[in-house]
Amino acid sequence: MTELIVQQVLNWLTLGSIYALIAVGFSLLFGVLNIIHFSHGDVSLVSPFIALALTQSLAAAVGAPASLGYFVFAALLAIILTGLLGVVLDILVIQRFRNAPAMMALVATVALGIVLREVIRNGFPNGSNPHPFPRIASGSLDVGGFMIPTFDLAAMLAAVLAVAALFFLLGNTRLGLHIKAVSQDRDAARLMAISPSRIFRMTFFIASAVGAVGGLFFSSYAGMARFDFSIEVGLIGFSAAVVGGLGSMPGAIIGSLLIAGLDTLVQAVVANGASYRLVFVFLLVIAVLVFRPSGLLGRTAIEKV
Amino acid sequence: MITNLSVASRKAYRPLTTVALVVATETVGAVFLRQFLLAEDWRLVVTLLAIFAAALVAFERRPHLEGAIASGFRTHRRFATLLGVVLVALFPFALEKNTYALHLCVVSQLYAVLALALNFQLGSANIPNFATGASYGIGAYVSALLALNFDVSFWIALPAAAIVATAFGFLLGIPSMRTRDSYLALVTIAFGVVINQLLNTLDFTGGPNGLVGIPAPEIFGHSFASPLVVLGYELPPQANFYYLSAMLVLVAILFADRLHNSRVGLAWNALRADELAARCQGINTTWYKVLAFAVDAFLAGFAGTIYAFYVGFISPENFTFLVSVTIMTMVIAGGMDNILGVLVGAVLLTLLPEKLRAFSDYRILFFGVTVIGFLLIRPQGIFPKRLRRYEV
Amino acid sequence: MALPILEGERLTMRFGGLVAMAEVSFELARGEILGIIGPNGAGKSTLFNIISGLYVPSSGEVRLEGQRLNGVPAHTIVKRGVARTFQSSRLFGDLSVLDNVIIGRHTHTHCGVFDAIFRHSRAKEELKQAAVHSERLLRTVSRNLFEQRHRPAAELPQADRRRLEIARALASEPKVLMLDEPSSGMDDADTDALMDDIRAVCAERPDLSLMIVEHDMRLVAALPHRVMVLDYGQKLADGPFEEVRRIPRVQEAYLGRRGAASHAEG
Repeated sequence: MTELIVQQVLNWLTLGSIYALIAVGFSLLFGVLNIIHFSHGDVSLVSPFIALALTQSLAAAVGAPASLGYFVFAALLAIILTGLLGVVLDILVIQRFRNAPAMMALVATVALGIVLREVIRNGFPNGSNPHPFPRIASGSLDVGGFMIPTFDLAAMLAAVLAVAALFFLLGNTRLGLHIKAVSQDRDAARLMAISPSRIFRMTFFIASAVGAVGGLFFSSYAGMARFDFSIEVGLIGFSAAVVGGLGSMPGAIIGSLLIAGLDTLVQAVVANGASYRLVFVFLLVIAVLVFRPSGLLGRTAIEKV
Repeated sequence: MITNLSVASRKAYRPLTTVALVVATETVGAVFLRQFLLAEDWRLVVTLLAIFAAALVAFERRPHLEGAIASGFRTHRRFATLLGVVLVALFPFALEKNTYALHLCVVSQLYAVLALALNFQLGSANIPNFATGASYGIGAYVSALLALNFDVSFWIALPAAAIVATAFGFLLGIPSMRTRDSYLALVTIAFGVVINQLLNTLDFTGGPNGLVGIPAPEIFGHSFASPLVVLGYELPPQANFYYLSAMLVLVAILFADRLHNSRVGLAWNALRADELAARCQGINTTWYKVLAFAVDAFLAGFAGTIYAFYVGFISPENFTFLVSVTIMTMVIAGGMDNILGVLVGAVLLTLLPEKLRAFSDYRILFFGVTVIGFLLIRPQGIFPKRLRRYEV
Repeated sequence: MALPILEGERLTMRFGGLVAMAEVSFELARGEILGIIGPNGAGKSTLFNIISGLYVPSSGEVRLEGQRLNGVPAHTIVKRGVARTFQSSRLFGDLSVLDNVIIGRHTHTHCGVFDAIFRHSRAKEELKQAAVHSERLLRTVSRNLFEQRHRPAAELPQADRRRLEIARALASEPKVLMLDEPSSGMDDADTDALMDDIRAVCAERPDLSLMIVEHDMRLVAALPHRVMVLDYGQKLADGPFEEVRRIPRVQEAYLGRRGAASHAEG
């Protein structure tokens, strides 16, 4: 019995960590910099495909069969490339909506997400079908008498590191200070020799790279890469950030854990739960938004009148 | 004396030229549409599109031409409407009994209704709503279930489903009370996903396979599944649904026009321009937001019912997030808060993917790129919104 | 002394740790013009936001004709008779000038969705009446504005934007009109014209009470009957301008302690 509970708890924490890796990017972009970027989830979920493509080409270039070593290298490269992809998208599309009404930026980035998915589907060989994706870490470790899969530990570690690093970044570094300055008053920041464009690009890179890690872990968790994973993962990641409170890094983790918890609970307890999980998750999101419109840890933004 | 005469004769010409303009515009439009529908070769399609684009550019360059046509339609409102109705009624006869063309007409009309429905929120009030597809689906499923399980006739299922859809619209509007923009968009997307999952999972909705065998409507003993015979000329069965959905489009246009030129429409526009200032003019913004959701759901529910009875089978696949995005594309590209723009956008974006079958794989990509393109280059859409005029 | 039409009793507004307003009390009589002055950040706009219902005061009470306004939604407060303008004119930019004023008539019109669709002629008539009323209002506020009534509001020059905001606020036939820095961004000539317009509005509506937040001392000296000074969210003084300006604390608030001292000496 305890085995079962431990199993579920591990599921919960792992899934929560993976969601957090995506949620944290949403929180950073939306909450801190007020950038509407609905396609962050889609960008993050490009990384598995980049990793797959790179693994093949690297192995082919060397003339050896694709093995785990190549994959790890490819994954690391994918993280960086996805970060760059985020920056490129900002330069090409998203920055043009910086001063436009929120609605336009919103619809544009939703459309951008669709375009990303379709590009993968049409561009990647056999893109419409799922592609098997390797486990990032295999085996288990003995922790206090329980056998915990290394994968789970890796995911949790990654999430904790990411959130802690971003929290530290925002609170204690010069870059973090600059980010906060730009988020509060772009023109004043310019006068202080801070380049808002540079700050935006850096933030996009960081958010997309961290999200890429989440994307890799997610595909690993699911055992496959699918072009349409990002619809659900992106939505859940955004919801987690919103529930936790946009702009709050700890909020992103709390929101992710809440949603992952509900997700795992429903699947374990409710009959045919796997088909209903999203219903429960989104009812939770709607409920939180109705009663606490700024999320659990978010601060109510006061509009200057 | 002479000056007076020339002025008088100039004035006498005016009504004739404006009437001629109205007739010309409507006829050219109808002919163009007919050719577009019947075109088989994709190169012909592209040529027609190019002509359309050229016409639009010409209007840009000569605003007084556009102004003349617009004022012509305004002055001869009754006549223009009558002519339009006549053209719509006669249109199926010009389609050479081509069932595919008629089918496209029906689908375009349904999307036109959906686009007009979304326009209340998106165009007039600037509320992001990604759940129109869900309201569409609710209308379809409720009416289908009523017909299949309780033998309810189409004519009763129609208003019943619309009412249920409206109730969901109100429900969806509740979170809109305190949430804004991005959060609200998320809520509507989430709502759409929830409805889709429920439809996929619940037993009585037929699961992923949906519902089949929805009976064709009947009126005065004439079944909609049988051909329509008018004065000896036989039209394919699709024509029945053509006229049905045409009437729904008319109703939708009526709703749209009357609401736009009313206190409600003004309140929505105020909401769109500056929500805070709107509140400080006495506008109950919460109520008007909820209202926008409800009106959108009402019309979408109607459209859903007609769709269900037209095709005869429905599944959750027909009512996804992508459908909502498609409808949104139509409103954005066509022209936000402009009835003609929305109609053109709906027809164009329904027909294009069908006509360019070769590129069907890239259909969704095309929609995404279109939205971004329009938002970057021409956010007001093909036909931008117009300022109101009052006859005071 | 007749019953005040608007009164605030020990109004306090806290945002987390920040106290934007501390125990401010005031009274506004029918037909009176009250000026509100004070350095930047003194809480002047906060006061307006509390009265118009955008903020709920942390403590204290606002009363209109004896009725409590605390917690009443902003749109209802407009219905009860309080209208306002904004520091940065919040016009409905993509609508015509006339439409902006017609929207101001919202609380005096009633047609809803059903009326608009099913009783179309009645709805149309009501809107037409609102348009007639609005045109008349525009004409009295500014002939120039009336001429431009079909232009999108965003295209108006600054001075006209202010006037349009005032016309829009007047359209709701308020008992109390609050103007938030109406002359901001205007030069002397424009300010004089604005003062004349405000005087004309008040002359036509002797029962209308006005609260004006202002920085331009020429306007403050000439227009209001009485002036209230705020600083750091507190009320420093309340009385005719000539008296208030001599109070040392008020001078300190504007000029600083040393500045006030040298001003007194000089």
